[in-house]
Amino acid sequence: MRRTGIAFVILAAVALPCVAQTPPDWSGYYTLASGKDLGNFKPLNVNLPEVIAAHLQPWAKAKMAATDGIAEDTGQLCQPTGIFRNPPFAGSFLWLPGPEKIVIVYGALNTAGVQRIYLNRSHPRNLPPTWNGHSIGRWEGDTLLVDTIGFNDKSWLQPTMEPHTEEARLIQRIRQVGNGDFIEIHYTVEDRKALTSAYSYSRYYKKVGESMRENVCNDDIQIWRDFKSEHLKPIIERSREVRQP
Amino acid sequence: MTRTPAVLPFALCAVLMMWVPSAIAQAARPAAAPSDLAGVYQSIAAKTTLTGGLRNTGSPADIALLPAAAQQMKSVDLKQDPEKMCAAIGPFRMMARDRTKIELIPARGMIVMLFEDVSHGLMRTIYMSRSHPAKPNLNWLGDSVGRWDGNTLTVDTIGFNDKTWLNDAGAQHSDALHLVEQIRPILGGRYLEYKVTAEDAKALAKPYTYIRYYEKLDTDIMEDVCEE
Repeated sequence: MRRTGIAFVILAAVALPCVAQTPPDWSGYYTLASGKDLGNFKPLNVNLPEVIAAHLQPWAKAKMAATDGIAEDTGQLCQPTGIFRNPPFAGSFLWLPGPEKIVIVYGALNTAGVQRIYLNRSHPRNLPPTWNGHSIGRWEGDTLLVDTIGFNDKSWLQPTMEPHTEEARLIQRIRQVGNGDFIEIHYTVEDRKALTSAYSYSRYYKKVGESMRENVCNDDIQIWRDFKSEHLKPIIERSREVRQP
Repeated sequence: MTRTPAVLPFALCAVLMMWVPSAIAQAARPAAAPSDLAGVYQSIAAKTTLTGGLRNTGSPADIALLPAAAQQMKSVDLKQDPEKMCAAIGPFRMMARDRTKIELIPARGMIVMLFEDVSHGLMRTIYMSRSHPAKPNLNWLGDSVGRWDGNTLTVDTIGFNDKTWLNDAGAQHSDALHLVEQIRPILGGRYLEYKVTAEDAKALAKPYTYIRYYEKLDTDIMEDVCEE
């Protein structure tokens, strides 16, 4: 009996550190926390447009100045916007864990789409540029470290229309906080062709349920299509003339 | 006193590291799920015949409409097809299309179906632990609840709005549309058989059923954007 007890203690002592290393299950639907929901949490760099503006290279500032927010904003037309701008701006997402990948389905499905984080593998070579890039992740203790590259240059860093290039890299450090009621995401954005240096920010997302309701971007997309083609074509053409040197 | 071999902690740790992630993944899935449908699948081409003579049958183009619905279809402007607007086209039409690529993700209390063509498919949530609400909100994909009948996942969907079409010719349905889908793995799990029956007392003259076969892929789902 005593031997069994000792064996159990040894097993528990060995097992606990191992269990602590296993991927946690953060299943659920989360929305961007603000106001009272934040409690004592302090998001880093809430004034994100100002922070990004201070890091833009001259050509990127010129392009931003030449761009009309609505005309060139694919998000206004229910087209993709990439994953830089939605999560810190108006983010909500469904977190779907799995043994080989973690899937984040953004509430703004038409525009922010889906981020698939492949675990325990590296980025493939010769990635075709895409709106949401290619994400890989690994666990560092209780934090999921996500590295995303392979972006196209069609999206903007924020709705204030800061450009980026295909060199953009997004690093997310994701962990559960607040007794499991929140997910904290710390973001770092690098782009040696558009930014003078990397910038960082963090946001908190509160768990509000297990599933995500249907969210269709625009019931009448034809209105936006007409608006773009008839009224904003000249502005779009002008903004396209300013490109990275 | 017997000393514990130095290698024992490492061996135990290795065993646990192999077992625990799998156990956690299993815990996040429906406890009674007899089939693990997780994976990426693509509908096979129309003229493909699988082992046993299995092949796609039926088509949304062959539905029989009530006279009023048939008349309404004649006045539809095909330029307003949701397909051409990067908008959702509804499950009945979506699942019938050649090369439709889906990803099934079992999750806690539900099965999530994602489409590679997100604009036209969006995301479907099949609730495994509840029934339909008494008065479901009408939306593009309806309210789906699932249950296991042996190794077949039966999905019952109601609560559609009337904005999607049943086929490429512009056949419209009403908010009475009711879909019953039966999804089961076949041929050793290398394929899914997808059978759907549509009923709509306000638009269809009789229920209509088609079958599609989906091949399980060993590739990642890609970003497919409906751009103007």
